[in-house]
Amino acid sequence: MRRGPWRVAVAGHSMEPALREGDWLLVLPPRGRPRVGEVVVLRDPRDAKHLLLKRVAAVGDGAVTVMGDRRDHSTDSRYFGDVPVTDIVGRAAFRYAPLGRAGRVRS
Amino acid sequence: MFSRLLTPTAVAHAHCDIPCGIYDPTAAKVAADTVAKMVEKISALQPSATDFTTRGNFVRMITVKEEHAQICKKELEILWSDYFKPEHLEKFPKLHDTFWKAAKLCSKNKQNVDAAAAAELQAAVKEISDMFYATKK
Repeated sequence: MRRGPWRVAVAGHSMEPALREGDWLLVLPPRGRPRVGEVVVLRDPRDAKHLLLKRVAAVGDGAVTVMGDRRDHSTDSRYFGDVPVTDIVGRAAFRYAPLGRAGRVRS
Repeated sequence: MFSRLLTPTAVAHAHCDIPCGIYDPTAAKVAADTVAKMVEKISALQPSATDFTTRGNFVRMITVKEEHAQICKKELEILWSDYFKPEHLEKFPKLHDTFWKAAKLCSKNKQNVDAAAAAELQAAVKEISDMFYATKK
């Protein structure tokens, strides 16, 4: 688990229009219990080496339901079920590229 | 050096499996088989029968036939536009022609009650299915 901020590139289309393929994001470490609405980076429950980017739709007891913003183009908790909170490795805080769309990632 | 400080160190996937991996010609086959079965059942009805049960069955079978002809077309179009790639076209030069004819057969089967057309559609779907599985070897 990374302790400080780190950077990820967005791949795929399931978080449009909030996040687009090729966006570069600053990711902060998780802070305790995730909040509904925040965009998180999590380990793919089917392949831990693979990172996913989804929005928290609900928080249960030790597990979260994550969903892509584009419901018709997203593989998420509807498919792989709730994800343990411990699989969340960061929260998307800020987009720094492209500069024209730089800004905070909204919950 | 400055760019190295900015370049992301990981990729996070806001992804979707559905349009990028799951393809299967079985859905088209089931739809084509359903069309053929409905044509068979419709043809077996007594044309002079006017009782409500027979009429109801007739309407239902026509509806199912038309719906499945449309499903078949949609399923074939997904394989055609999303699954098959340029390298497959090199291996199967008749690929586009086969899909085009199969799509037209879907329309023909939607419009008509024609056992020969239904059999042609089943054969076309089988041909596409064979190409599909050949690319998996």
